[in-house]
Amino acid sequence: MEITIQSINELEEVVKALLNFSAGRKKIMFYGEIGAGKTTFIQNICKHLGVKEAVVSPTFSLVNEYTYHDESLQSEQYVHHLDLYRLKNEQEALDIGIEDYLYDDYYCFIEWAEIIEHWLPDDLVKIYINIFEDSGRTFTLEKNFKG
Amino acid sequence: MSVLILAIESSCDDTSASVIQDGEVLSNCIANQEIHKLYGGVVPEAASRAHQVNIVPVVDAAIKKAGIKKENLSAIAFTRGPGLIGSLLVGVSFAKAFAMSLEIPMIEVNHMQAHILAHYAEEPKPPLPFLCLTVSGGHTQIVKVTDHLKMELLGSTIDDAAGEAFDKTGKLLGLDYPAGPLIDKYAKLGEPIFKFTEPKVGELDFSFSGLKTSILYFLRKNIKENPKFIEENLNDICASVQARIVSILLKKLKIAAQKTGIKHLAIAGGVSANSALRSGLEEMGKEMGWKTYIPRFEYCTDNAAMIAVTGYYKYLKKDFVGQDVVPVARWSV
Repeated sequence: MEITIQSINELEEVVKALLNFSAGRKKIMFYGEIGAGKTTFIQNICKHLGVKEAVVSPTFSLVNEYTYHDESLQSEQYVHHLDLYRLKNEQEALDIGIEDYLYDDYYCFIEWAEIIEHWLPDDLVKIYINIFEDSGRTFTLEKNFKG
Repeated sequence: MSVLILAIESSCDDTSASVIQDGEVLSNCIANQEIHKLYGGVVPEAASRAHQVNIVPVVDAAIKKAGIKKENLSAIAFTRGPGLIGSLLVGVSFAKAFAMSLEIPMIEVNHMQAHILAHYAEEPKPPLPFLCLTVSGGHTQIVKVTDHLKMELLGSTIDDAAGEAFDKTGKLLGLDYPAGPLIDKYAKLGEPIFKFTEPKVGELDFSFSGLKTSILYFLRKNIKENPKFIEENLNDICASVQARIVSILLKKLKIAAQKTGIKHLAIAGGVSANSALRSGLEEMGKEMGWKTYIPRFEYCTDNAAMIAVTGYYKYLKKDFVGQDVVPVARWSV
């Protein structure tokens, strides 16, 4: 599935399309060059989910944890926001406990997930963000990677 | 009897240990190749498992360098958060075991408070109240310090930290990581001739994500016209980006000073090593009649001496925690 927007103001529509597309899948990987808007898009998703805390870049912290109240589950839920940009290899990702975040029941948004391709669960969503004519963005959504 | 505290810092990449006696830092060791030579190993890559390998050698080094006996320690201070849980756990668990074996109290320390209290590691110490701009790879915030352990967050970044803006710009320019020191170096050889727009955010908040994107657009556009654009203009690009980042930081600090009427301004965190930020702060201070404070580089980056200093103030208040303490990923100043 592909969505094209002309400006940042249309991000809310992409968030809705993504949550619809993911159909309950909570492990979402984000791909795109520096400045493509991965963190900005994740800020919008978190806002939509009802996250109260500030959603900021986890490039240095590696993992940020946010909370929101899930209406259907009637409980507080976590969002884990990871950024593997600084990590050099798979081993470093395993050392920060990446499997815990990939295989629990909470939302997990990962930027720069390329180095852990081997460890990704089958049932996930991948989003590729491409820039065109500066303010425009194309979002390519894929899901389920069995076998 | 004097107060002797061992402090542990393991919230992010570096493992560090420090010993402080009556508020005076006796040692401040960061795990490095030299410390590992004594143990016949090499420093592992940045990751939380690395802290497990580092912690015993670095504590041992800090105690030896301080020339003390561990039996004489009054308490152990440790970073409880904010940070990476896996990394924090190593320090917290070590502190618990150490405290239990020596039967001494434990002191939990907030890493962000400690960055600010690093100013009390040595003279000149800012008098209370003062304002502190903490800038590092992961943080950008302005804090009002009314007492050693009483702080108020006035503003912070809503997306990227200033240090990240330096590093990601460096990546776009093809510089090695960490790019902050390199940008500083090239900027000295160039002029800030390229203009980048100022982000529009709350009065005392920061935003660097938009700047990063505008730098990307700027480079793409110019490279299209001249493929050698970066190569031919590297110094001027670095000078321009650095000037913009520094002007954003200082403008907000100035607003905070004017709003609060506080005339003592400090900076902390790894980015305070940036030469333009240092000179810019000093100039602003002279111009406005404010006193400015910049700690030595050793106390700017993540280090255990700042945990020790904070631990000392908490010790004086008998602010201890029990063995049931757990690390926290998020913790405001």
